Amino acid sequence: MRLATYLAKRIGYTIFVLLGLSILIFTLARVLPGDPARMALSPRAPEWAIEKLREQLRLNEPLPVQYLYWLRDVFSGSLGESLVTRRDVLTDITEFLPATLELLLFALIFDVAIAIPVGMLAGRKANTWVDNLVRGFAYIGVTIPAFVFAIIFLLVFGYILHIAPVVGRLSPGVVPPPRITGLFTIDSLITGNFSTFVDALSHLILPSLALALGPIAQEARITRASVVENLNKDYILASVSHGLPERLIVLKYLMKPSLIPTVSIMGLDIASLIGWAFLVESIFNWPGMSRYGIIAMLRKDLNAIVGVVMVTGLVFAIANILVDIIVSLLDPRIRMVERAK
Amino acid sequence: MVKRSVVAAVVAIVIIAIIIGAVWLTTQIPPTPTPTPTPTPVLKRTLTISFANVPTLDPAVGSDEASSSAFVNLYDTLVYPTKTGEVVPHLAERWDVSPDGLTWTFYLRKGVKFHDGKELTAEDVVFSTKRFVTIGEGYSYLLSPYLEDVRAIDDYTVEFKLKTTFGPFLMALVRLYILNKDLVMKNIKIPGPYGEFGDYGKAWLLTNDAGSGPYKLKEVKLEEYVIFERFEDYWGYFKPNAPDEVKFIGTSEPVTIRTLFARGELDITDQWQPYENLLEMAKLKGAEIVYIPSGGMFYLMIHTKKAPTDDIHFRKAMAYAFDYNTVVEKIFVGTKLAKGPVSAVVPGHDPTVFQYTRDLDKAREELMKSKYYPELEKYEVEYWWIAEVPDEEKVALLFAKNMEEIGIKVKVVKVPWLTVIDGMARPETSPHIVSIFVAPHYLEAGSILESRYHSKSAPTWEQNEWLLDPELDAAIEDAIATLDMKERFAKYAELQHRIVELCPSLFLFDMVERRAYYSYYVDWYAAKGEGVPVLGYFFDLRLIEVFPEKKAELFK
Repeated sequence: MRLATYLAKRIGYTIFVLLGLSILIFTLARVLPGDPARMALSPRAPEWAIEKLREQLRLNEPLPVQYLYWLRDVFSGSLGESLVTRRDVLTDITEFLPATLELLLFALIFDVAIAIPVGMLAGRKANTWVDNLVRGFAYIGVTIPAFVFAIIFLLVFGYILHIAPVVGRLSPGVVPPPRITGLFTIDSLITGNFSTFVDALSHLILPSLALALGPIAQEARITRASVVENLNKDYILASVSHGLPERLIVLKYLMKPSLIPTVSIMGLDIASLIGWAFLVESIFNWPGMSRYGIIAMLRKDLNAIVGVVMVTGLVFAIANILVDIIVSLLDPRIRMVERAK
Repeated sequence: MVKRSVVAAVVAIVIIAIIIGAVWLTTQIPPTPTPTPTPTPVLKRTLTISFANVPTLDPAVGSDEASSSAFVNLYDTLVYPTKTGEVVPHLAERWDVSPDGLTWTFYLRKGVKFHDGKELTAEDVVFSTKRFVTIGEGYSYLLSPYLEDVRAIDDYTVEFKLKTTFGPFLMALVRLYILNKDLVMKNIKIPGPYGEFGDYGKAWLLTNDAGSGPYKLKEVKLEEYVIFERFEDYWGYFKPNAPDEVKFIGTSEPVTIRTLFARGELDITDQWQPYENLLEMAKLKGAEIVYIPSGGMFYLMIHTKKAPTDDIHFRKAMAYAFDYNTVVEKIFVGTKLAKGPVSAVVPGHDPTVFQYTRDLDKAREELMKSKYYPELEKYEVEYWWIAEVPDEEKVALLFAKNMEEIGIKVKVVKVPWLTVIDGMARPETSPHIVSIFVAPHYLEAGSILESRYHSKSAPTWEQNEWLLDPELDAAIEDAIATLDMKERFAKYAELQHRIVELCPSLFLFDMVERRAYYSYYVDWYAAKGEGVPVLGYFFDLRLIEVFPEKKAELFK
């Protein structure tokens, strides 16, 4: 019940934030220089055609009226027509979003699978060569942006070694699996097409790892610091003095509290993953929503810009709700505070 | 509790094992392509070309390079362009024009089949023309100001009626692509903005073709790539080793392009690669850089209605002070010095026209004649370069340095493209100078003269000069309306001399497309100087030859 109340509160808050975001991005997209109707048509398009498109886009209406029309369309299941693809932005996003989600999902898998064990190990072996090595790599990971990793991976694994595919989601000639979730790896596994799964996975590794390295470094450092701090806590010393097995101490009493800051940071890192995806998708010619968003911005595709930003905001909001839930499950004190409120 | 930890550890190990296993598998097992119904030849002739974007497939909508290249291959036109500015028969076997130049009758080739097997008739031409001008996008502006009516006389005869004479009408027809009326009508979405025609098939044509061209659509991945395959029932000519399958990729990311090219997954690059990247790719075995004149030109457009550039002597001083050679030798390598306002490869260009060259004495002489000379320090020339084209900054800095030598102050400003378009819409917000590439809309000098110097284009990004000269406008209109080609070209020549005398722009260089391609196994007519500089016509795929056995040898 308490969780349900909490969720309801967070969802209400999220709706409020998304509404604010929509007003902001709707206004910003429209005050940028350049007439979107003229840009969508050719430079010599006749005035009547430009005017027709302006009317179709309701660009001649005052800004608040345009926004209300947009909001009405959203409630009737449309995000407006894209000037680039000439389809409903919702149709475009439905097509491109799974590719981005798949990329983010694999980046997160890499993140969790590497950052936590490595951070725990560095914390447990604090001030040894293992720790120094992890910290050294972590500094590099934190300071180098994801797009630089993307370029390095492309050059090393694609250009020099030729061992990994470098563009797109599937190799030429490989037919995408029937659409169930839109995530090729999952859909191919569901339909039992293992060769397509392997091919999709091989395309995912470089871009998702490029995206994940920054968060991995960040979270490994946070986990390490947290482990070092908790190792000196009285309850750990008490556990050791009571002769509890080391594995039990680490996995049960040390890991859980040490992961709380890591998981919280992970929520913020999801935002950076989405942000960097805009560049990484361009480098790997990944047909995802972020690449679609870049094209939309370059061509001043008003509805697509608003649609992409709103969906990005929604993904970020959902991810943060999930993180809050995980944190509250990990730390009973947070639940206690909520209860006290 | 211990049990839970064990489960978590097992799950983590399984995830890591899957990832490591998959990485290992990808290096061991090549992906198995899903079998297709048609058997794949052992050495298929494939060709992959990159463009800045994935093409728009509707010929009434697209007008960019990728889309134009797609149209040339998916669709047929009544006539086909040549380098001299004349056209040759294509779908139309011959044509007549009435003495007043207003009625054009085209006699269609019989037995031309669309990709679905239906025969192409005059009704399809009428439908395509009406759809083209009604939608009003893409290249339709070439016909819509002139076209009054179009009708089918019989199955193989079609008549166009014009409102006024239009000399380059035939050349403009190379943009009228003929669609299969029945197929489009079967796929229209009602309701739509075009009344009984619904959406005129626009949604369907996003991912389908309705053409009769030498290639048909095989696969479309929006915002990723498009694959074309050879249409075996094509009525026209294919070179013996023309590609069976061609892929257009929509990316120009330098690292991506370089990697794909090095792996043999890309055969011809896009024209937007940094020169350094092209040089690196050209070092690969079997590859080279090709420079293809594309008909456009790089201009420094000078505002003629704003002090101090409203003074012709001030403009001429700048024209004499600028170092043109450094631009073509060091900045835009591979380009050729311009000669007048029209590129040398555009029919109607006059090679006798005067071109300014750097001469500081003459520059100072002209500057002294300017009414602004006594108070030169009071004026600063604002120069905009387009933020999205980094090489333009080098030209801007060179210009500023050259002008400093004669005492003209220049303020160099980096401006995003969208802001440039907005600024150039009004004389008061236009800068003194802006550097821009402009290409003709159809292959004749009249196109560039109209889009660069006619008053109607003054508020667009194609003109910063704001000449607003009714006499010049009338002369341009008269030249374009002249039916006789020789007479028309003579008028174009006169206009070029007149414009140079006004010195409204600095004509820097003729544009070239710089691309890397594998000349070892791709025999590309455009790279040998045989291409027609009309956007898209460098990629008439049936005229390109590919030798897969040579490619296999290169990448073994």
